[in-house]
Amino acid sequence: MIEESRKLSPAEEDAFGKELDVLRDEAFGSLGQADVDHIRGVVRLARRAEAGGRALLHLGLDPVTFLAGAGALGVSKILENMEIGHNVIHGQYDWTKDPALEGAGYEWDIVCPAEGWRRSHNFEHHTFTNILGKDRDVGYLVLRVSADQPWHPAYLLQPVSAVLLALMFEWGLGLHDMRFDDLFRARSLGEAREALKGLVERGRPFLSKAARLCAKDYLLFPALALANAPRVLAGNVLANVIRNVWGFSVIFCGHFPAGVRVYAEEACEGESRGAWYARQLNGSANIEGGKLLHLMTGHLSHQIEHHLFPDLPAARYPGLAPKVRAICERYGQRYSTGSMPRQLASVARQILRNAFPGGGKPIRDIAAENPPLGRMSAAAA
Amino acid sequence: MNAISRIATGVARGLLLERQAEFWLGQVAPTRSLAQLRARVEEVVDETADVKTFRLRPNGRWSGHQAGQFTTVELEIDGVRTRRCYSISSAPGRLPAITVKRKPGGVVSGWMHAHLRRGDVIGLGLAAGDFVLPAVLPQKLLFLTGGSGITPAMSMLLDLGRRAPAADIVLVHHARSADDVIFRGALAALAARAGGPRVVLCSDDGSSGLGPFDEARLALLVPDFARRESWVCGPPGLMERVQSMWEAAGIAGSLRQERFTLAPPRAVTGGKTTRIRLAHAGRSFVAGPGTLLEQLEQAGAKPVSGCRMGICRTCKVRKVSGAVEDLRTGAVSGAADEDVQPCISVARSDLELSL
Repeated sequence: MIEESRKLSPAEEDAFGKELDVLRDEAFGSLGQADVDHIRGVVRLARRAEAGGRALLHLGLDPVTFLAGAGALGVSKILENMEIGHNVIHGQYDWTKDPALEGAGYEWDIVCPAEGWRRSHNFEHHTFTNILGKDRDVGYLVLRVSADQPWHPAYLLQPVSAVLLALMFEWGLGLHDMRFDDLFRARSLGEAREALKGLVERGRPFLSKAARLCAKDYLLFPALALANAPRVLAGNVLANVIRNVWGFSVIFCGHFPAGVRVYAEEACEGESRGAWYARQLNGSANIEGGKLLHLMTGHLSHQIEHHLFPDLPAARYPGLAPKVRAICERYGQRYSTGSMPRQLASVARQILRNAFPGGGKPIRDIAAENPPLGRMSAAAA
Repeated sequence: MNAISRIATGVARGLLLERQAEFWLGQVAPTRSLAQLRARVEEVVDETADVKTFRLRPNGRWSGHQAGQFTTVELEIDGVRTRRCYSISSAPGRLPAITVKRKPGGVVSGWMHAHLRRGDVIGLGLAAGDFVLPAVLPQKLLFLTGGSGITPAMSMLLDLGRRAPAADIVLVHHARSADDVIFRGALAALAARAGGPRVVLCSDDGSSGLGPFDEARLALLVPDFARRESWVCGPPGLMERVQSMWEAAGIAGSLRQERFTLAPPRAVTGGKTTRIRLAHAGRSFVAGPGTLLEQLEQAGAKPVSGCRMGICRTCKVRKVSGAVEDLRTGAVSGAADEDVQPCISVARSDLELSL
């Protein structure tokens, strides 16, 4: 495996971009019934898992059906959020013209409203991937995942805050999209007032959606269970936590294992399409595994392919991966991939090591000769 | 029951359980839906070698149709929802039926003929269109139809049979050959009834007795045509000739028309290239021949479309700037920020569209 991507000349960047464009065009040109059947099959699976999980929680009395019920409900939420919600909201199925699969109208089962997500994720994160200061998803502004982020004593607590974020990930995403940081960045009273106005504007839909989802999982369904209400409430909490921890794990494996690059803002000004592709590639990491793992991650186990082609139906990524990898090989580009335990361990090391100051190589020097600011240094080094 | 289902729907919506409700409704019965008008295919009838009638049973959202109106069917063809408009050929008050001719190279009509079976569920639009009978029925009526243009007329003839048994009705229908006459048996049955319409069949090859459309012969066949309220529906050539004939007789006001296909657009004059800019996609392309909708499709903009003849307004887009010609009327409009229907428009200058 190539350990470090080499710098591409502008001509190489263009050729690299063209080869990926060809892959993209081929894939888009071959979309059809099988792709729609796939996503509808996943919808069916998610709905049935939800109904089955809720039935087990409502009707059972023993701990085995409790765990099975919460597990099935958790699985349905994972499928709904990842393979269905995240991918549909990306517009991956807009070409079907089926209103049920339209990205612009989809609202998912997670407290973070889809409307804000379309901006913060589809636009900002996917456009400015791993650019420090522009991609607010680097450590979600609360974790120092790269030595290139300036250290602050608050990061000493991040091993604890990372665990909390994992447990409450949907709330983390919702609060993240509230953009409280705009308020802290305000340099004048006018800017502060603007930031506050924005907070109120975003706060309303967030609170409304959070209230509706909490009413569903923590009031309506427990109330319907009558005497079994405490069990159903506990099961619903557990299902949401299962989904949160899984979502956190998948997403952190996608961008923060050692070796994934972060970029300086100025290095990406006026970048070509090929350079954009190269940044997406070098800013993402895959998780190796079987079909079930790919499905349960919403195919974000192919984070690299997802970042190259974010609006292509995700179930196509496994088929594209060998071709993408071969292109990367030819252009001397690192294709970061590993098993889930390996990638998770790498993320954990990053979080632990970067809680303390330093940890990086002289990254500014790398930035001087290389567009990327640096890479997520192996914490053990 | 209605109140309960309304409350349940409200709760489902409020607590974001709408998609679940829609899913389980669809599992109970495929035509059931919280929001969509859907229909099950009840029966497929072969009318001629290349024409089939699909009798549909819509869900509760269907609100009936007037004779002569059309509906929009939504089909999933290779994963993509595609819409087309078809005249309803059944009588009002009956299950809606559409009668579809398989067009050479027609993606949708070809697909329907090959794949649409009894029991399948399709999307449907509410009946629409103003090619209908007036509220106060005239005593003398004339229907001039060609090919599948018989479909709205059939619905009207069936309706008239019940509402105005004493009316004096003439149908002059044109087909390629006697074998290509749609509803041949039903028309004969109508004509055989006491007080039924007079049915005249003409065909291009003369196999039904009379030859192709001819103004002089029509005037002989129906000498009082000028005193009749008339409806014409058929291929563009027939429609143009009938319209000219009625205009020459100074009775254009008594002629109602329904077009299924557009006359092909004229070439852009001056040979100047026009560019179409898509504001949201941030790209532009050079316009070739054909309608704006065809241009957008060729450019990969994947526009939503329906009837492709300017009636259903599915493909409507906001034109930010530039001039388009309406192919139906020849009117050129250069207004900024107006909605245009790409299926019946051609670019007459550089355009910017809100796409």
